[in-house]
Amino acid sequence: MKNIIVCVKVVPKTEDVSFDPVTKTLDRSKAENQINEADKNAIEYALVLKEKYGGNVILLSMGPMFFEPFLKIGIAMGADDAILLSDRAFAGADSYPTALTLASAIKKIGDFDLILCGEESSDAGLGQVPSQVAEFLDLPQALFVSSVEIEGNKIKARRSVKGGYEIVELPLPSVISIELGINQPRFPDFKRKRWADKEFKIKVWNMKDLGLNENIVGLRGSYTFVNRFIETEPPKRLRRYIEGSPEEQAEKLYEVIKEIIE
Amino acid sequence: MIDAWVYIEHDSGEIEDVSLEIVGRLNEIKASLPLRITGFSFGRDPGEIPRKAISQGVEHFIFLRNDLFSFYDTQSYVNGIEGIVRERRPDIILLGATYQGRDLAGRLAARLKTGLAANAITLNIDEKGLLYTGVPGYGGRFIAEIVNMKARPQISTVRQGIFRKLPQDNSRSGEVENIEVKFGDFSPRLRVVERVRKDVKDITKSERVVIIGNGAGNNLKPIEDFARLIGADIGVTRPVADRGLAPRDIQVGSTGVSLNSKLVIIFGSSGSNHFVSGIERCKNVISIDVDRNSNIFNYSDYCVVADMFTILPYLNRRFGGQ
Repeated sequence: MKNIIVCVKVVPKTEDVSFDPVTKTLDRSKAENQINEADKNAIEYALVLKEKYGGNVILLSMGPMFFEPFLKIGIAMGADDAILLSDRAFAGADSYPTALTLASAIKKIGDFDLILCGEESSDAGLGQVPSQVAEFLDLPQALFVSSVEIEGNKIKARRSVKGGYEIVELPLPSVISIELGINQPRFPDFKRKRWADKEFKIKVWNMKDLGLNENIVGLRGSYTFVNRFIETEPPKRLRRYIEGSPEEQAEKLYEVIKEIIE
Repeated sequence: MIDAWVYIEHDSGEIEDVSLEIVGRLNEIKASLPLRITGFSFGRDPGEIPRKAISQGVEHFIFLRNDLFSFYDTQSYVNGIEGIVRERRPDIILLGATYQGRDLAGRLAARLKTGLAANAITLNIDEKGLLYTGVPGYGGRFIAEIVNMKARPQISTVRQGIFRKLPQDNSRSGEVENIEVKFGDFSPRLRVVERVRKDVKDITKSERVVIIGNGAGNNLKPIEDFARLIGADIGVTRPVADRGLAPRDIQVGSTGVSLNSKLVIIFGSSGSNHFVSGIERCKNVISIDVDRNSNIFNYSDYCVVADMFTILPYLNRRFGGQ
């Protein structure tokens, strides 16, 4: 097995993002960041595949330099290498230039058998990057995958479909998106974490390194923009507590339910 | 005339509700805008699909026929539709945010060099034909209204259970085109080896739903009994689906489905943001959880602080169970 490339995004924790009603924008400044959950499942799965079939796990991310320590967490988990695509021109990208930039980096890495992504990110959560990376690389794809087996130069992947799953067969290399929550990502290894923090150097590639220009990356390369943000108003609820002994609670609950369903 | 296309997704001739829900929403918009609604499908044999879609509000149907379309391969489908989209240049293409719709939309948008939005919960079109899609972000706490002014077609997937389909009316008529797709030297690189599918209930339209949260552990039977006694369907929270106890199809929340029920009763959920966005549209919410400070109670009409396994036997007996 050659390299397994895992696409990783760092996202603000959902509960830390607030809405400024005056400017009508999102405030992410107070938010703690983390590796996107589904991407962590993808890293874990890549490490499992490495243990089984060999090869190296390479983390690939596009974002500002503050992503570095998060990629080092992935290294401490057991990934072999990490590449951060960082350039001012990359900022403000929607899924199209994001996938284009990632695909250009994957071409530059060149030597790979498998590309894993998390099924979607928890911020915008469009889940379109895996499909678009596959298109830009002209590779087959299977999305929402919960397990992968490799036999020779073929992959057998289990992908979710409505009401169940399909086992699909694809050639190596292919693009696979890993379903959120399919595994328990391992903790970073303590010694490896110390080594990663002190000695490990993340490769940083900019726009020129990838042979791209400012018209096709970042905001300028994007097709969509946010017209406005709307904060969703949760519906007003009664919040009436039903108190008493369990039996009394059950009895009152029975009355409430009966009234609603009749 | 604004030309809007809807992917009429089907499984062996059975049309996905969400495809018809999108058609329903477009028919509402059509009341005030010059809009032409085209449905398109892939398959070996159109069967009743075009007629069914037309009876529910599609005005024009394109059926793309090829033996390769008997199973879903992203590249076959994108290659199959690409030519006709380039030739006819629709303004808008909408797909249901199903597994297949989400898989297809991204690749199609990349192929056509255009933008896309996903999981839309609002859909509006202005007189210039610009599509405004409301996309929930950060676990459904915000909606970003997305617009693509740069390229056509404007593509988006649309969340299930948000819009209403039109009542079936067999007197509606429409034009049907059957197009034989020629692939040249392309052959799919993906092959389906095995397919395991159960019929799952679409709970987005259930009047009563009982939701099993992680607090239930592995002891689901008393809750299932209760659901049966009150005639409710079962839904689950994400941790329960993650543990493989239930299929994703009945997972409620921003990463699953949204309910539109008259009554929802939730057992043992902590009320995370991405879960509660899935019960927002329910009329009456009742929650049972051991933790008085659980966030779920902020989103409930009736709050019961109790151990569900103590309450359930009483409740089941009261509703006529054992």
